[in-house]
Amino acid sequence: MDWFSFIVAGIMVYVAVAVFLIGSIYRVIQWRRAPKSTVKQGMFPRAENPFKRTLKLGKDSLLFPQVLDTDRWMWFFVIGMHLAGIGLFFGHLRLLFEITPLYNALGAGGMETLASWVGGAIGISLFIAFTYFLLRRFKSPYRELSVPEDYLLLLLILLLVLLGDHLRLTHPFDLASYRDYMSSLLHFKPAFSTAITFSADKWVLDAHVLTANMLLIYFPFSKLVHAMGGFAGNLLRSE
Amino acid sequence: MVTREEQDLAVKILDEKTNRQLLYYLDICTRCGICKDACHQYVATGDVLYLPASRAQLIRKVFRKYFTIQGKLIPSVVEATAPNDKLLEDLYRASYACTSCRRCMYYCPFSIDTTWFTSIGRAMLVAIGRGATILGELADAAIMKGENIDMFRDILIEGLKDTEDEFKARVGDPAATIPIGKKGAHSLYVALAGTHTILPMAIIFHQAKADWSLSLFEAANYGYFYGDTARAKKIAQRFVDEAKALGVQELIISECGHAYRVMEFLYEAWAKEKLPFKIRAVVDVMHDYIKEGRIKLKPGSLLEPVTYHDPCQVGRNGGFYEEPRNIVKAVAADYREMTPNREKQWCCGGGGGLVAESEFDTLRQVSGQKKVEQIRKTGAKVLVTPCENCRLQIEMLNEKNNLGIRISSMMDLVVESMDLPGAKPA
Ligand code: SF4
Ligand code: SF4
Repeated sequence: MDWFSFIVAGIMVYVAVAVFLIGSIYRVIQWRRAPKSTVKQGMFPRAENPFKRTLKLGKDSLLFPQVLDTDRWMWFFVIGMHLAGIGLFFGHLRLLFEITPLYNALGAGGMETLASWVGGAIGISLFIAFTYFLLRRFKSPYRELSVPEDYLLLLLILLLVLLGDHLRLTHPFDLASYRDYMSSLLHFKPAFSTAITFSADKWVLDAHVLTANMLLIYFPFSKLVHAMGGFAGNLLRSE
Repeated sequence: MVTREEQDLAVKILDEKTNRQLLYYLDICTRCGICKDACHQYVATGDVLYLPASRAQLIRKVFRKYFTIQGKLIPSVVEATAPNDKLLEDLYRASYACTSCRRCMYYCPFSIDTTWFTSIGRAMLVAIGRGATILGELADAAIMKGENIDMFRDILIEGLKDTEDEFKARVGDPAATIPIGKKGAHSLYVALAGTHTILPMAIIFHQAKADWSLSLFEAANYGYFYGDTARAKKIAQRFVDEAKALGVQELIISECGHAYRVMEFLYEAWAKEKLPFKIRAVVDVMHDYIKEGRIKLKPGSLLEPVTYHDPCQVGRNGGFYEEPRNIVKAVAADYREMTPNREKQWCCGGGGGLVAESEFDTLRQVSGQKKVEQIRKTGAKVLVTPCENCRLQIEMLNEKNNLGIRISSMMDLVVESMDLPGAKPA
């Protein structure tokens, strides 16, 4: 690994993951430490029992029914983006661990075909969804409501997605090399395979990892913490 | 020009008011703007300041400047701002115009309660002497009455004589009285200023053979509207103390949405005490009387088409959707529902203290257009709603838009459709 790759795709990954984890935990602690007002804040109709309350929390937080009611396009892209996000998580996890049941069912070739189709679809969906979110921000009244952070965050994510799409879609996907890299990270001996080291994509991979690191580092300080706090907000609704 | 001391004081109030709920809301809003279509004021005016998330954003800017790392490191990226004159002027309009309907909370994917921000906004403004003057004056007048009740008692009782005479005539019972200060009564009823919510309830209580006493104080809480918890608590405490002294089992709040909300959902948190009696909304009490057969209504006696408006503080924020509807349906020959309704009901535009603040008259009129459309669509000739603020607002909308409807309180509707032994009203 050259020194630049070693810094951004090596050391910085550990720093980013640490900031992400510690920062997120700290954020939750900060919330929990603040005194909770005892004002009963819920809205009506209220869920009658804890089970129904949990169901409602799940529905509100994962399906966004109120968004569907208000802005169908936004709902479509928001749901699409979150679903793609889940797919993306599993896609990257596959670089660390094979999803064995699926692998056994489909065989090596089948798994590759599936991964390349699903991975490609996810990459493109994310690109379209984030482009939509970005363009939407240029329209009134979202423009007036937005702060520079909102654009920067979207640009960062778009760049991250674009670089990922480039790696996934432009040439035959070098699964073995990426697996080697992920496993080297896991063993605290970050290294690129020879194939990556001598390919032009090394810089793309560096940039992809760099943007991912930046996103992880910024996460606990950004509105992305809605991924955790959104549940708390929706729980207050039926308090 | 705002001084440095005033800015510090406003920030101090924000710091004091920061709790877990506020931190969540400050951190998780994605500025997606979904809440824009929920707010009648934004929908009607297109003024971005009235967009719920924009109102919250004013507080978020100040919070970020003083209490976050981002605000210190990258202030322009997160728009961290000191409470300067421009921000405070915007905060005044954004906070005091909010009717506290919480329709935006219903539609926000994270259930962000914008009123949490607007009430802090009001508190910050009050602290630096920039609160809504009229609301402060009305709050102080109510507190003054509480502190000098011995001076007012006889005048108040004297002022009720005519009402009591009419009450006796209507129920055909010369021995009937409007009880005041009745020790050991089951309920203490807190009416509104004036006698229009005393006479009908006296009739209803009498017919239901209820054991009640009338409070010397009025339910409305201008301290709450003003945004000053200390004043709001003092105002409510007047009848809390009265109820404790009489040893009642329930405190019945008249048809006043915010007064019910203050007592049922806020007072105990403010006073840090558990009240020794139940808080009841009068609409719920009337519903019980009908259900238990203690009062009888003439079914189908209201022939004109009638609709029901859910006051935000009675419905979405109070939990009474079916009880008032059951009462209206019990007497209506032709009941017509507004769309949307219940938890999605549009705010009438008059809550949050707005009916008392003439500076917002135009906004009230414009932002009531959703309600006007809804009412028109029903073709109703009578509108019933159990909240004084809603009634005043809809009366104004009725007049300005030639809706040609009659607006009735729930208790008037009930009394109208009861068979009373005494004289008919003049
Ligand atoms: S809907 Fe909720 S998250 Fe979206 S801008 Fe409004 S308050 Fe913020
Ligand atoms: S509470 Fe009502 S008036 Fe206030 S911002 Fe929300 S929708 Fe608008």
